[in-house]
Amino acid sequence: MTATAPRATRAALPDADPSPLPPTVPARVAWLFGGLTAALLGLAVVAAGSGHLHVPPAEVLGGLARGLGLELGPEPSHPNGYAALWTIRFPRVLMAMLVGAALAAAGALMQGVFGNPLAEPGVVGVSSGAAVAASATIVLGVSVAGPWTTAGAAFLGGLVATFAVYALARSGGRTEVVTLVLTGVAINAVCGAVLALFTFLGDTQEREQIVFWQLGSLNGTRWAYVAIVAPLVVVGLVAAGAMARRLDLLALGERSARHLGVDVERLRVVAVVVVALLTAAAVAFCGIISFVGLVVPHLVRMAVGPGHRVLVPASALGGAVLLLAADLVARTAVPYADLPIGMLTALVGGPFFLWLVRRTRRQAGGWA
Amino acid sequence: MSSRPVRRARRALDAPLALLVAPLVALVLTGCTALGPGGVVEQGAAAVDTTPLSELDVLDDPREWTGETVARTAETPVAPVADDPQPRLPVTVTDAQGTEVTVTDTSRILALDLYGTLSRTVFELGLGDRVVGRDTSSTFPEIADLPLVTANGHELTGEAILELAPTVILTDTTLGPWDVLMQMRDAGIPVVVLDPHRSVETSGDLVRSVAEALGVPEDGAELAERTQAEVDDVVAQVAELAPREKADRLRVAFLYVRGQAGVYYLFGEGSGADSLVESVGAVDVASEIGWQGMRPVNDEGIVAAQPDVLLMMSKGLESAGGVDGLLERLPALAQTPAGENRRIVAMDDSQILAFGPETAAVLDALARALYAPESVASGAER
Repeated sequence: MTATAPRATRAALPDADPSPLPPTVPARVAWLFGGLTAALLGLAVVAAGSGHLHVPPAEVLGGLARGLGLELGPEPSHPNGYAALWTIRFPRVLMAMLVGAALAAAGALMQGVFGNPLAEPGVVGVSSGAAVAASATIVLGVSVAGPWTTAGAAFLGGLVATFAVYALARSGGRTEVVTLVLTGVAINAVCGAVLALFTFLGDTQEREQIVFWQLGSLNGTRWAYVAIVAPLVVVGLVAAGAMARRLDLLALGERSARHLGVDVERLRVVAVVVVALLTAAAVAFCGIISFVGLVVPHLVRMAVGPGHRVLVPASALGGAVLLLAADLVARTAVPYADLPIGMLTALVGGPFFLWLVRRTRRQAGGWA
Repeated sequence: MSSRPVRRARRALDAPLALLVAPLVALVLTGCTALGPGGVVEQGAAAVDTTPLSELDVLDDPREWTGETVARTAETPVAPVADDPQPRLPVTVTDAQGTEVTVTDTSRILALDLYGTLSRTVFELGLGDRVVGRDTSSTFPEIADLPLVTANGHELTGEAILELAPTVILTDTTLGPWDVLMQMRDAGIPVVVLDPHRSVETSGDLVRSVAEALGVPEDGAELAERTQAEVDDVVAQVAELAPREKADRLRVAFLYVRGQAGVYYLFGEGSGADSLVESVGAVDVASEIGWQGMRPVNDEGIVAAQPDVLLMMSKGLESAGGVDGLLERLPALAQTPAGENRRIVAMDDSQILAFGPETAAVLDALARALYAPESVASGAER
């Protein structure tokens, strides 16, 4: 079937595209997945091999093999080489992939379910909602569920924020772009205020942690955190993948989708929960990293079209590549220092967002 | 700089003779005019006045002084309590967070905190040759050549730490991210967390905890005693300088300013600033109004507190554009005696709240700046 751009859900407006987007070309899809997978693996090796403590590539592989119980390759020559690889770099590389995949998939999902190209966890305030709830557990000293507390709170905060956006930005069965973005502005403002309040209430250490939430960073990733984030991301990605077909139908318009047997309301609610889950997984330990969910799905759409069955998994893969690359820059660009990764993604994503707004304005006469 | 009347002795200048006659002159000379700024040639750290506190020319009324002062400690070389300490290992300690940590090897030590206190303590214990890295605040000559593990101000970098292959890490919670320290524990390096709450009263305890974790409790006890004795000595001397009546004492506020974006924190009870101010015989206005910890303060709060003197960190003051910049940005200060008289005492960021083995030197320098600003006045010129 032919999927159209999410924009077309607003049936009231004529589709400005001269022709419906062509059906997904299998060869292109194969190339995209092949390319992204290769890039991901290549980057992972590079990322694992670069850092302040120098470990040559052969020793990285040797260290990896030893950690997995194989006696292959040379052992890291630095006394702490092995420890640096296994306690600092590998968890961080894995975390970057997981978080990137989660954010990009959440973005793709949100754009599909809102029928709106600007929906993105960071832009509409889901990330900050999650961050507020997570900081609340820090400042108020809540730890009912042990290490899961922060992640759980982030999920609840993200869920509340997503539902709030959903409820506030929809009217008459559709989501207007301006309303959505303005809702996001409002939610981000409220969350920013609450974060500021927590900053005021917290002591020095808590304050530092909250600033960390606001900027986003993968510094200090531990296996324990990866173990919490990984299952959440896997569940979220599987659920997102399972929804892809129905999202394609939804792109035809709500009525058409309903006629084709899609329970639209249920689909939306489930999608919102999955978005909150994926965002919370990303935010729980890494803070707010914005624009990944915006940039990646758009790039994927440009390459292979808007069909969700390709879009969702390809976005996840692309998000992993993007964030892995961004994190590599974040921790190696300045010697010793660790740049906030949220700053990097926003630096790239912000202009992209503007470009997107202008382009859409040209093509469709704006979203007003 | 100042033409206020002072009860003064001509300070010991370059001539040793002056040193001999100084006490005599002190009795004779009263109310003479201030020494011109060119009167004493002072350069760098060597310029710090080391006249004993008791021989200083003290202001009649410490409120009667205008202008900012920079309090500096004389650069004191590390004086270890033991030449070749023999740590008894392994040692198991319960750290400030209640974690049981076993230290088996102290051949490569990392001691990191916001003020560089812990590293100085390790050096004073005689274990300096085992220290393999430093934080940004540790800048004394003995450690200055070691590699940094904090980037970007006070942020710890895991890989930089691992590269140095420490066998034990001493730190408190003033440096982060905390997760980096957890990573170090994951990597099998014992991390001993010390109490981040510092004050004049607890500086001995801090020394003892550090020594205990490194397996040299006896040396620790000795250093703690030495530190305490030095502090007691200075406090006793300061008590002679400070006005006797509480009502006459200087009202001091510790103001933490960073940048020009309106970050003004008043440090109150439990911040360490309170004990510092009281130890130099002044009244801490923040504790007077029950101010807890370190919190942002507004204009009215400053006006209501009416401090005579503001205590600040040098780099903080600099980042606010110096005294002029500060007064411009915080017009409320003009409504306080401190602002009217530009009476601001600045001290190195890494020293003022460090409370380590150098506590006595810090108190000494602050007392000079508060009660005998003449002796450090040239500092304000820079």
